[in-house]
Amino acid sequence: MSGPAIVFMIVICTFIWGGFSLLLIRAIRSEKRKSREN
Amino acid sequence: MSNSEQFGSRWGLVLATLGMAVGTGNIWRFPRIVASNGGGSFLVAWAVFLLLWSIPLMIVEFAFGKRARKGTVGAFKLLAGRNSAWMGGWVAFCAAAIMFYYSVVAGWCLRYLGAAVLGQIRGSESEVFWTSYAGTGTAWLTHALALSLAVAVVWFGVRGIERVAKILIPSLFVLVVALAIRAVTLPGAVAGLEFLFRPDWAALGDVRIWLQALTQNAWDTGAGWGLILTYAIYMKAREDIPLNAFLIGFGNNSVSLLAGIMVLCTVFAINPGAKSEIVGAGNEGLTFIWMPQLFDQMPGGQFFMVFFFLALSFAALTSLISMVELVSRILMDAGLPRRKAVSVVGLVGLALGTPSALSLAFLHNQDWVWGVGLMLSGLFYALGARKFGLEKLRRETVNGEGADIQVGGWWTFLVGVIVPIEAVILMIWWLWEARGWNPESWLNPFLPESVGTVLLQWAIALVALLALQRWLGKRPAADGGGV
Repeated sequence: MSGPAIVFMIVICTFIWGGFSLLLIRAIRSEKRKSREN
Repeated sequence: MSNSEQFGSRWGLVLATLGMAVGTGNIWRFPRIVASNGGGSFLVAWAVFLLLWSIPLMIVEFAFGKRARKGTVGAFKLLAGRNSAWMGGWVAFCAAAIMFYYSVVAGWCLRYLGAAVLGQIRGSESEVFWTSYAGTGTAWLTHALALSLAVAVVWFGVRGIERVAKILIPSLFVLVVALAIRAVTLPGAVAGLEFLFRPDWAALGDVRIWLQALTQNAWDTGAGWGLILTYAIYMKAREDIPLNAFLIGFGNNSVSLLAGIMVLCTVFAINPGAKSEIVGAGNEGLTFIWMPQLFDQMPGGQFFMVFFFLALSFAALTSLISMVELVSRILMDAGLPRRKAVSVVGLVGLALGTPSALSLAFLHNQDWVWGVGLMLSGLFYALGARKFGLEKLRRETVNGEGADIQVGGWWTFLVGVIVPIEAVILMIWWLWEARGWNPESWLNPFLPESVGTVLLQWAIALVALLALQRWLGKRPAADGGGV
Protein backbone atom coordinates (compact mmCIF):
# COMPACT_ATOMS: atom_id res chain seq x y z
CA MET A 1 0.00 0.00 0.00
CA SER A 2 1.32 3.45 -0.84
CA GLY A 3 2.17 6.01 1.84
CA PRO A 4 -0.58 8.50 0.90
CA ALA A 5 -3.19 5.71 0.92
CA ILE A 6 -2.07 4.57 4.41
CA VAL A 7 -2.17 8.13 5.75
CA PHE A 8 -5.56 8.78 4.18
CA MET A 9 -6.96 5.49 5.50
CA ILE A 10 -5.88 6.45 9.03
CA VAL A 11 -7.42 9.93 8.68
CA ILE A 12 -10.81 8.85 7.32
CA CYS A 13 -11.18 5.79 9.59
CA THR A 14 -10.23 7.87 12.63
CA PHE A 15 -12.77 10.51 11.66
CA ILE A 16 -15.67 8.09 11.05
CA TRP A 17 -15.03 5.24 13.50
CA GLY A 18 -13.21 7.39 16.04
CA GLY A 19 -16.00 9.96 15.86
CA PHE A 20 -18.61 7.24 16.36
CA SER A 21 -16.68 5.77 19.34
CA LEU A 22 -16.27 9.16 21.03
CA LEU A 23 -19.94 10.01 20.56
CA LEU A 24 -20.91 6.61 21.96
CA ILE A 25 -18.71 7.13 25.03
CA ARG A 26 -20.21 10.61 25.50
CA ALA A 27 -23.74 9.16 25.34
CA ILE A 28 -22.89 6.33 27.80
CA ARG A 29 -21.44 8.83 30.29
CA SER A 30 -24.48 11.06 29.90
CA GLU A 31 -26.85 8.16 30.58
CA LYS A 32 -24.87 7.18 33.69
CA ARG A 33 -25.04 10.77 34.93
CA LYS A 34 -28.77 11.01 34.25
CA SER A 35 -29.49 7.72 36.05
CA ARG A 36 -27.47 8.91 39.08
CA GLU A 37 -29.48 12.16 39.15
CA ASN A 38 -32.82 10.33 39.05
CA MET B 1 -48.70 9.10 25.16
CA SER B 2 -48.72 5.87 27.16
CA ASN B 3 -45.48 4.32 28.44
CA SER B 4 -46.01 1.32 26.15
CA GLU B 5 -45.85 3.75 23.20
CA GLN B 6 -42.45 5.08 24.26
CA PHE B 7 -38.93 3.73 23.87
CA GLY B 8 -37.86 2.10 27.12
CA SER B 9 -34.39 3.62 26.99
CA ARG B 10 -32.11 5.84 24.95
CA TRP B 11 -30.43 2.74 23.54
CA GLY B 12 -33.76 1.45 22.26
CA LEU B 13 -34.27 4.71 20.34
CA VAL B 14 -30.68 4.82 19.06
CA LEU B 15 -30.64 1.19 17.92
CA ALA B 16 -34.07 1.40 16.25
CA THR B 17 -33.02 4.59 14.44
CA LEU B 18 -29.69 3.07 13.43
CA GLY B 19 -31.66 0.08 12.11
CA MET B 20 -33.72 2.49 10.05
CA ALA B 21 -30.61 4.26 8.71
CA VAL B 22 -28.49 1.20 7.96
CA GLY B 23 -30.13 -0.47 4.99
CA THR B 24 -29.16 -2.25 1.82
CA GLY B 25 -27.83 1.07 0.44
CA ASN B 26 -24.92 0.92 2.89
CA ILE B 27 -23.93 -2.57 1.82
CA TRP B 28 -24.71 -2.78 -1.88
CA ARG B 29 -24.60 0.82 -3.11
CA PHE B 30 -21.84 2.52 -1.12
CA PRO B 31 -18.97 0.20 -2.21
CA ARG B 32 -19.98 0.53 -5.88
CA ILE B 33 -20.26 4.30 -5.72
CA VAL B 34 -16.92 4.73 -3.93
CA ALA B 35 -15.23 2.47 -6.46
CA SER B 36 -16.63 4.30 -9.47
CA ASN B 37 -16.06 7.82 -8.09
CA GLY B 38 -12.40 8.08 -7.26
CA GLY B 39 -12.10 6.12 -3.98
CA GLY B 40 -10.38 8.36 -1.44
CA SER B 41 -11.55 11.63 -3.05
CA PHE B 42 -15.15 10.47 -2.82
CA LEU B 43 -14.67 9.66 0.88
CA VAL B 44 -13.68 13.28 1.59
CA ALA B 45 -16.84 14.62 -0.06
CA TRP B 46 -18.94 11.89 1.60
CA ALA B 47 -17.64 12.87 5.08
CA VAL B 48 -18.29 16.56 4.36
CA PHE B 49 -21.92 15.96 3.37
CA LEU B 50 -22.51 13.84 6.47
CA LEU B 51 -22.07 17.15 8.30
CA LEU B 52 -23.71 19.42 5.71
CA TRP B 53 -26.80 17.36 4.86
CA SER B 54 -27.48 14.24 6.94
CA ILE B 55 -26.90 15.38 10.52
CA PRO B 56 -28.61 18.81 10.22
CA LEU B 57 -31.69 17.13 8.69
CA MET B 58 -31.67 14.36 11.30
CA ILE B 59 -31.77 17.04 14.00
CA VAL B 60 -34.77 18.67 12.26
CA GLU B 61 -36.57 15.33 12.11
CA PHE B 62 -35.92 14.55 15.76
CA ALA B 63 -37.09 18.02 16.74
CA PHE B 64 -40.29 17.78 14.66
CA GLY B 65 -41.19 14.34 16.07
CA LYS B 66 -40.38 15.21 19.67
CA ARG B 67 -42.20 18.53 19.54
CA ALA B 68 -45.32 17.56 17.58
CA ARG B 69 -45.68 13.91 18.72
CA LYS B 70 -47.38 13.29 15.38
CA GLY B 71 -46.53 11.53 12.13
CA THR B 72 -45.23 13.52 9.18
CA VAL B 73 -48.61 14.98 8.12
CA GLY B 74 -49.60 16.04 11.64
CA ALA B 75 -46.12 17.34 12.44
CA PHE B 76 -45.97 19.60 9.37
CA LYS B 77 -49.51 20.79 10.05
CA LEU B 78 -48.76 21.60 13.69
CA LEU B 79 -45.32 23.12 13.21
CA ALA B 80 -45.31 24.66 9.73
CA GLY B 81 -48.98 25.59 9.58
CA ARG B 82 -52.21 24.09 8.25
CA ASN B 83 -51.30 24.94 4.67
CA SER B 84 -48.11 22.88 4.93
CA ALA B 85 -49.77 19.56 5.78
CA TRP B 86 -49.36 18.52 2.13
CA MET B 87 -45.56 18.69 2.55
CA GLY B 88 -45.81 16.11 5.33
CA GLY B 89 -48.10 14.19 3.00
CA TRP B 90 -45.38 14.22 0.34
CA VAL B 91 -42.80 12.91 2.80
CA ALA B 92 -45.17 10.10 3.81
CA PHE B 93 -46.11 9.37 0.19
CA CYS B 94 -42.44 8.98 -0.83
CA ALA B 95 -41.72 6.70 2.14
CA ALA B 96 -44.82 4.60 1.40
CA ALA B 97 -43.95 4.29 -2.30
CA ILE B 98 -40.44 3.18 -1.33
CA MET B 99 -41.86 0.70 1.21
CA PHE B 100 -43.86 -1.01 -1.54
CA TYR B 101 -40.75 -2.02 -3.48
CA TYR B 102 -38.35 -2.16 -0.54
CA SER B 103 -40.22 -5.15 0.85
CA VAL B 104 -39.48 -6.87 -2.48
CA VAL B 105 -35.77 -6.09 -1.98
CA ALA B 106 -35.93 -7.37 1.62
CA GLY B 107 -37.57 -10.52 0.23
CA TRP B 108 -34.66 -11.01 -2.19
CA CYS B 109 -32.24 -10.81 0.75
CA LEU B 110 -34.23 -13.41 2.69
CA ARG B 111 -34.39 -15.71 -0.34
CA TYR B 112 -30.63 -15.51 -0.80
CA LEU B 113 -30.07 -16.06 2.91
CA GLY B 114 -32.13 -19.26 2.68
CA ALA B 115 -30.32 -20.31 -0.48
CA ALA B 116 -26.92 -19.65 1.13
CA VAL B 117 -27.83 -21.68 4.22
CA LEU B 118 -29.07 -24.58 2.08
CA GLY B 119 -26.09 -24.38 -0.29
CA GLN B 120 -28.37 -23.76 -3.28
CA ILE B 121 -26.22 -21.04 -4.91
CA ARG B 122 -23.30 -22.33 -6.92
CA GLY B 123 -20.97 -19.48 -7.87
CA SER B 124 -20.82 -20.45 -11.53
CA GLU B 125 -24.60 -20.56 -11.74
CA SER B 126 -25.37 -17.42 -9.75
CA GLU B 127 -26.65 -15.53 -12.80
CA VAL B 128 -29.02 -18.36 -13.68
CA PHE B 129 -30.20 -18.51 -10.07
CA TRP B 130 -30.95 -14.77 -10.12
CA THR B 131 -32.73 -14.68 -13.49
CA SER B 132 -34.85 -17.70 -12.59
CA TYR B 133 -35.94 -16.01 -9.37
CA ALA B 134 -36.23 -12.22 -9.86
CA GLY B 135 -39.60 -11.08 -11.20
CA THR B 136 -41.27 -14.46 -10.62
CA GLY B 137 -44.00 -15.72 -8.30
CA THR B 138 -41.30 -16.82 -5.85
CA ALA B 139 -40.15 -13.20 -5.60
CA TRP B 140 -43.73 -12.24 -4.77
CA LEU B 141 -43.79 -14.87 -2.01
CA THR B 142 -40.57 -13.56 -0.48
CA HIS B 143 -41.98 -10.01 -0.75
CA ALA B 144 -45.00 -11.25 1.23
CA LEU B 145 -42.73 -12.94 3.77
CA ALA B 146 -40.58 -9.84 4.34
CA LEU B 147 -43.62 -7.57 4.67
CA SER B 148 -45.31 -10.02 7.06
CA LEU B 149 -42.23 -10.06 9.29
CA ALA B 150 -42.13 -6.24 9.39
CA VAL B 151 -45.88 -6.03 10.05
CA ALA B 152 -45.56 -8.61 12.84
CA VAL B 153 -42.95 -6.46 14.58
CA VAL B 154 -44.86 -3.17 14.19
CA TRP B 155 -48.04 -4.93 15.37
CA PHE B 156 -46.53 -5.00 18.88
CA GLY B 157 -45.85 -1.27 18.85
CA VAL B 158 -42.71 0.64 19.63
CA ARG B 159 -41.65 -1.86 22.29
CA GLY B 160 -41.72 -4.58 19.62
CA ILE B 161 -39.56 -2.42 17.34
CA GLU B 162 -37.16 -1.76 20.23
CA ARG B 163 -36.82 -5.44 21.18
CA VAL B 164 -36.07 -6.46 17.59
CA ALA B 165 -33.59 -3.60 17.06
CA LYS B 166 -31.71 -4.55 20.24
CA ILE B 167 -31.04 -7.98 18.77
CA LEU B 168 -30.62 -7.27 15.04
CA ILE B 169 -28.47 -4.12 15.08
CA PRO B 170 -25.65 -5.33 17.37
CA SER B 171 -25.71 -8.62 15.39
CA LEU B 172 -25.48 -6.66 12.13
CA PHE B 173 -22.43 -4.74 13.41
CA VAL B 174 -20.73 -8.00 14.46
CA LEU B 175 -21.47 -9.62 11.08
CA VAL B 176 -20.16 -6.67 9.06
CA VAL B 177 -17.01 -6.45 11.19
CA ALA B 178 -16.42 -10.21 10.81
CA LEU B 179 -16.88 -9.97 7.02
CA ALA B 180 -14.54 -6.97 6.79
CA ILE B 181 -11.85 -8.79 8.82
CA ARG B 182 -12.21 -11.86 6.58
CA ALA B 183 -11.91 -9.67 3.49
CA VAL B 184 -8.79 -7.74 4.56
CA THR B 185 -7.01 -10.98 5.53
CA LEU B 186 -7.42 -12.47 2.04
CA PRO B 187 -4.21 -12.58 -0.05
CA GLY B 188 -4.21 -9.55 -2.37
CA ALA B 189 -6.81 -7.64 -0.34
CA VAL B 190 -4.38 -4.79 0.20
CA ALA B 191 -4.98 -3.73 -3.42
CA GLY B 192 -8.61 -3.15 -2.45
CA LEU B 193 -7.55 -0.95 0.45
CA GLU B 194 -5.19 0.96 -1.85
CA PHE B 195 -8.03 1.49 -4.34
CA LEU B 196 -10.47 2.57 -1.62
CA PHE B 197 -8.18 4.95 0.24
CA ARG B 198 -5.79 6.31 -2.40
CA PRO B 199 -6.43 10.06 -2.44
CA ASP B 200 -6.59 11.79 -5.80
CA TRP B 201 -6.73 15.45 -4.84
CA ALA B 202 -7.28 16.58 -8.42
CA ALA B 203 -10.53 14.58 -8.49
CA LEU B 204 -11.91 16.81 -5.73
CA GLY B 205 -12.35 19.45 -8.43
CA ASP B 206 -14.87 17.16 -10.16
CA VAL B 207 -18.38 18.37 -9.30
CA ARG B 208 -19.81 14.94 -10.12
CA ILE B 209 -17.95 13.33 -7.20
CA TRP B 210 -19.43 15.87 -4.77
CA LEU B 211 -22.92 15.33 -6.14
CA GLN B 212 -22.58 11.55 -5.90
CA ALA B 213 -21.33 11.90 -2.31
CA LEU B 214 -24.29 14.12 -1.43
CA THR B 215 -26.67 11.65 -3.08
CA GLN B 216 -25.17 8.77 -1.11
CA ASN B 217 -25.73 10.69 2.13
CA ALA B 218 -29.29 11.57 1.11
CA TRP B 219 -30.14 7.95 0.29
CA ASP B 220 -28.33 5.88 2.88
CA THR B 221 -28.62 7.86 6.11
CA GLY B 222 -32.41 8.14 5.99
CA ALA B 223 -32.23 11.87 6.75
CA GLY B 224 -35.31 13.67 5.43
CA TRP B 225 -37.32 10.50 4.82
CA GLY B 226 -39.73 11.01 7.76
CA LEU B 227 -38.56 7.81 9.45
CA ILE B 228 -36.53 9.53 12.19
CA LEU B 229 -39.45 11.88 12.83
CA THR B 230 -41.69 8.85 13.31
CA TYR B 231 -39.37 7.21 15.85
CA ALA B 232 -38.84 10.56 17.61
CA ILE B 233 -42.56 10.61 18.43
CA TYR B 234 -41.82 7.86 20.93
CA MET B 235 -38.76 9.40 22.59
CA LYS B 236 -38.97 10.46 26.22
CA ALA B 237 -39.55 14.13 27.07
CA ARG B 238 -36.11 14.35 28.70
CA GLU B 239 -34.33 12.72 25.77
CA ASP B 240 -31.38 14.25 23.93
CA ILE B 241 -31.61 15.24 20.25
CA PRO B 242 -28.24 16.56 18.97
CA LEU B 243 -25.92 13.89 20.37
CA ASN B 244 -28.27 11.14 19.17
CA ALA B 245 -28.34 12.66 15.67
CA PHE B 246 -24.53 12.76 15.50
CA LEU B 247 -24.29 9.24 16.93
CA ILE B 248 -26.68 7.82 14.33
CA GLY B 249 -25.06 9.69 11.44
CA PHE B 250 -21.57 8.51 12.33
CA GLY B 251 -22.83 5.00 13.18
CA ASN B 252 -24.51 4.70 9.80
CA ASN B 253 -21.42 5.85 7.93
CA SER B 254 -19.23 3.53 10.04
CA VAL B 255 -21.20 0.59 8.64
CA SER B 256 -20.87 1.98 5.09
CA LEU B 257 -17.10 2.23 5.47
CA LEU B 258 -16.89 -1.35 6.75
CA ALA B 259 -19.04 -2.51 3.84
CA GLY B 260 -16.79 -0.68 1.39
CA ILE B 261 -13.72 -2.40 2.84
CA MET B 262 -15.48 -5.77 2.84
CA VAL B 263 -16.68 -5.64 -0.76
CA LEU B 264 -13.66 -3.99 -2.41
CA CYS B 265 -11.08 -6.15 -0.60
CA THR B 266 -13.03 -9.27 -1.59
CA VAL B 267 -13.25 -8.15 -5.23
CA PHE B 268 -9.54 -7.24 -5.48
CA ALA B 269 -8.44 -10.42 -3.69
CA ILE B 270 -10.58 -12.88 -5.65
CA ASN B 271 -11.14 -11.39 -9.10
CA PRO B 272 -9.19 -8.15 -9.64
CA GLY B 273 -9.45 -8.47 -13.43
CA ALA B 274 -13.22 -8.04 -13.32
CA LYS B 275 -13.36 -5.11 -10.91
CA SER B 276 -14.82 -2.66 -13.43
CA GLU B 277 -17.42 -5.18 -14.52
CA ILE B 278 -18.31 -5.98 -10.89
CA VAL B 279 -18.74 -2.39 -9.66
CA GLY B 280 -20.58 -1.50 -12.87
CA ALA B 281 -23.04 -4.37 -12.47
CA GLY B 282 -25.58 -2.34 -10.47
CA ASN B 283 -26.86 -3.08 -6.99
CA GLU B 284 -28.49 -6.39 -7.85
CA GLY B 285 -25.68 -7.50 -10.16
CA LEU B 286 -23.04 -6.90 -7.50
CA THR B 287 -25.00 -8.47 -4.66
CA PHE B 288 -26.87 -11.36 -6.19
CA ILE B 289 -24.65 -12.38 -9.11
CA TRP B 290 -21.06 -11.36 -8.35
CA MET B 291 -20.88 -11.74 -4.57
CA PRO B 292 -21.94 -15.45 -4.66
CA GLN B 293 -19.27 -16.03 -7.34
CA LEU B 294 -16.63 -14.33 -5.20
CA PHE B 295 -17.64 -16.22 -2.05
CA ASP B 296 -17.52 -19.47 -4.03
CA GLN B 297 -13.81 -18.93 -4.67
CA MET B 298 -12.97 -17.86 -1.11
CA PRO B 299 -11.76 -20.29 1.58
CA GLY B 300 -14.77 -20.81 3.89
CA GLY B 301 -16.84 -18.91 1.37
CA GLN B 302 -20.10 -20.78 2.04
CA PHE B 303 -19.94 -19.76 5.69
CA PHE B 304 -19.19 -16.11 4.88
CA MET B 305 -21.90 -15.99 2.20
CA VAL B 306 -24.42 -16.87 4.94
CA PHE B 307 -22.95 -14.03 7.06
CA PHE B 308 -23.23 -11.62 4.12
CA PHE B 309 -26.87 -12.34 3.33
CA LEU B 310 -27.75 -12.46 7.03
CA ALA B 311 -26.28 -8.95 7.44
CA LEU B 312 -28.11 -7.76 4.33
CA SER B 313 -31.40 -9.28 5.58
CA PHE B 314 -31.04 -7.64 9.01
CA ALA B 315 -30.27 -4.27 7.38
CA ALA B 316 -33.25 -4.54 5.00
CA LEU B 317 -35.74 -5.73 7.63
CA THR B 318 -34.93 -3.05 10.21
CA SER B 319 -35.36 -0.37 7.52
CA LEU B 320 -38.61 -1.94 6.28
CA ILE B 321 -39.96 -2.00 9.85
CA SER B 322 -39.46 1.77 10.13
CA MET B 323 -41.30 2.36 6.83
CA VAL B 324 -44.28 0.25 7.96
CA GLU B 325 -44.33 2.20 11.23
CA LEU B 326 -44.23 5.56 9.40
CA VAL B 327 -47.30 4.81 7.28
CA SER B 328 -49.12 3.15 10.19
CA ARG B 329 -48.46 6.23 12.33
CA ILE B 330 -50.20 8.46 9.77
CA LEU B 331 -53.28 6.22 9.93
CA MET B 332 -53.13 6.17 13.73
CA ASP B 333 -53.02 9.97 13.76
CA ALA B 334 -56.18 9.85 11.64
CA GLY B 335 -57.86 7.84 14.39
CA LEU B 336 -57.27 4.17 13.54
CA PRO B 337 -56.14 1.84 16.37
CA ARG B 338 -52.58 0.55 15.92
CA ARG B 339 -53.40 -3.01 14.92
CA LYS B 340 -56.03 -1.96 12.41
CA ALA B 341 -53.62 0.62 10.92
CA VAL B 342 -50.80 -1.93 10.68
CA SER B 343 -53.11 -4.47 9.03
CA VAL B 344 -54.21 -1.90 6.43
CA VAL B 345 -50.58 -0.97 5.70
CA GLY B 346 -49.66 -4.67 5.37
CA LEU B 347 -52.49 -5.45 2.95
CA VAL B 348 -51.98 -2.31 0.84
CA GLY B 349 -48.21 -2.89 0.82
CA LEU B 350 -48.70 -6.47 -0.30
CA ALA B 351 -50.93 -5.37 -3.17
CA LEU B 352 -48.96 -2.32 -4.31
CA GLY B 353 -45.62 -4.13 -3.99
CA THR B 354 -46.81 -6.82 -6.39
CA PRO B 355 -45.87 -4.98 -9.63
CA SER B 356 -42.32 -4.47 -8.30
CA ALA B 357 -42.11 -8.12 -7.21
CA LEU B 358 -43.10 -9.30 -10.68
CA SER B 359 -41.21 -6.76 -12.81
CA LEU B 360 -37.67 -5.49 -12.31
CA ALA B 361 -38.36 -2.63 -14.73
CA PHE B 362 -41.26 -1.45 -12.55
CA LEU B 363 -39.11 -1.70 -9.41
CA HIS B 364 -36.32 0.31 -11.03
CA ASN B 365 -38.87 2.91 -12.13
CA GLN B 366 -40.18 3.32 -8.60
CA ASP B 367 -36.67 3.41 -7.15
CA TRP B 368 -35.76 6.20 -9.57
CA VAL B 369 -38.92 8.29 -9.17
CA TRP B 370 -39.15 8.21 -5.38
CA GLY B 371 -35.40 8.17 -4.79
CA VAL B 372 -35.20 11.61 -6.39
CA GLY B 373 -38.46 12.46 -4.57
CA LEU B 374 -36.58 12.09 -1.28
CA MET B 375 -34.50 15.12 -2.18
CA LEU B 376 -37.73 17.11 -2.38
CA SER B 377 -38.63 15.68 1.05
CA GLY B 378 -35.34 17.04 2.41
CA LEU B 379 -36.19 20.45 0.94
CA PHE B 380 -39.63 20.36 2.56
CA TYR B 381 -38.10 19.67 5.98
CA ALA B 382 -35.85 22.69 5.61
CA LEU B 383 -38.77 24.89 4.45
CA GLY B 384 -41.04 23.55 7.20
CA ALA B 385 -38.43 24.26 9.87
CA ARG B 386 -37.90 27.76 8.48
CA LYS B 387 -41.63 28.38 8.58
CA PHE B 388 -41.82 27.30 12.21
CA GLY B 389 -38.77 29.36 13.12
CA LEU B 390 -35.33 27.78 13.10
CA GLU B 391 -34.08 29.75 16.09
CA LYS B 392 -37.16 28.87 18.13
CA LEU B 393 -36.81 25.20 17.20
CA ARG B 394 -33.10 25.25 18.09
CA ARG B 395 -33.52 27.00 21.45
CA GLU B 396 -36.68 25.31 22.67
CA THR B 397 -36.49 21.80 21.25
CA VAL B 398 -33.05 20.88 19.88
CA ASN B 399 -31.21 22.45 22.82
CA GLY B 400 -34.15 21.94 25.17
CA GLU B 401 -34.80 19.46 27.96
CA GLY B 402 -32.38 16.53 28.02
CA ALA B 403 -29.90 17.88 25.43
CA ASP B 404 -26.40 16.50 26.07
CA ILE B 405 -24.72 18.97 23.74
CA GLN B 406 -25.81 22.41 22.58
CA VAL B 407 -26.20 23.12 18.88
CA GLY B 408 -25.03 26.56 17.77
CA GLY B 409 -26.14 28.99 15.09
CA TRP B 410 -24.32 26.92 12.45
CA TRP B 411 -27.28 24.56 12.45
CA THR B 412 -29.83 27.26 11.61
CA PHE B 413 -27.56 28.44 8.78
CA LEU B 414 -27.14 24.91 7.39
CA VAL B 415 -30.86 24.07 7.53
CA GLY B 416 -32.05 27.50 6.46
CA VAL B 417 -29.61 28.10 3.61
CA ILE B 418 -27.31 25.21 2.71
CA VAL B 419 -29.75 22.25 2.79
CA PRO B 420 -32.30 23.93 0.46
CA ILE B 421 -29.50 24.80 -2.00
CA GLU B 422 -28.18 21.23 -1.86
CA ALA B 423 -31.65 19.77 -2.42
CA VAL B 424 -32.39 21.97 -5.43
CA ILE B 425 -28.96 21.35 -7.02
CA LEU B 426 -29.31 17.58 -6.49
CA MET B 427 -32.75 17.39 -8.09
CA ILE B 428 -31.72 19.49 -11.08
CA TRP B 429 -28.52 17.47 -11.51
CA TRP B 430 -30.24 14.07 -11.40
CA LEU B 431 -32.92 15.14 -13.86
CA TRP B 432 -30.23 16.59 -16.14
CA GLU B 433 -28.27 13.34 -15.90
CA ALA B 434 -31.40 11.36 -16.77
CA ARG B 435 -31.84 13.51 -19.85
CA GLY B 436 -28.59 12.02 -21.13
CA TRP B 437 -29.71 8.40 -20.51
CA ASN B 438 -32.44 8.74 -23.15
CA PRO B 439 -31.48 11.77 -25.28
CA GLU B 440 -34.25 11.14 -27.82
CA SER B 441 -37.06 10.30 -25.42
CA TRP B 442 -36.17 11.78 -22.05
CA LEU B 443 -39.70 13.17 -21.62
CA ASN B 444 -41.37 9.82 -22.37
CA PRO B 445 -43.20 9.01 -19.10
CA PHE B 446 -43.40 5.31 -19.99
CA LEU B 447 -39.66 4.70 -19.90
CA PRO B 448 -38.56 3.26 -16.52
CA GLU B 449 -35.80 5.82 -15.89
CA SER B 450 -36.71 9.00 -17.75
CA VAL B 451 -37.31 12.59 -16.70
CA GLY B 452 -40.87 12.26 -18.01
CA THR B 453 -41.79 9.45 -15.62
CA VAL B 454 -40.52 11.47 -12.64
CA LEU B 455 -42.43 14.60 -13.65
CA LEU B 456 -45.65 12.70 -14.38
CA GLN B 457 -45.68 10.68 -11.14
CA TRP B 458 -44.64 13.65 -9.03
CA ALA B 459 -47.36 15.78 -10.65
CA ILE B 460 -50.02 13.15 -9.93
CA ALA B 461 -48.87 12.85 -6.30
CA LEU B 462 -48.62 16.61 -5.76
CA VAL B 463 -52.00 17.34 -7.34
CA ALA B 464 -53.60 14.61 -5.22
CA LEU B 465 -51.95 15.93 -2.05
CA LEU B 466 -52.88 19.53 -2.76
CA ALA B 467 -56.45 18.46 -3.53
CA LEU B 468 -56.49 16.73 -0.16
CA GLN B 469 -54.91 19.75 1.49
CA ARG B 470 -58.13 21.02 3.00
CA TRP B 471 -58.97 17.61 4.36
CA LEU B 472 -55.40 16.92 5.53
CA GLY B 473 -55.06 20.37 7.04
CA LYS B 474 -58.40 20.24 8.82
CA ARG B 475 -58.19 16.71 10.30
CA PRO B 476 -58.67 17.06 14.04
CA ALA B 477 -55.78 15.90 16.23
CA ALA B 478 -56.49 12.36 17.48
CA ASP B 479 -54.82 12.77 20.86
CA GLY B 480 -53.54 16.33 20.78
CA GLY B 481 -49.89 16.77 19.87
CA GLY B 482 -47.76 19.18 21.82
CA VAL B 483 -46.30 22.24 20.19
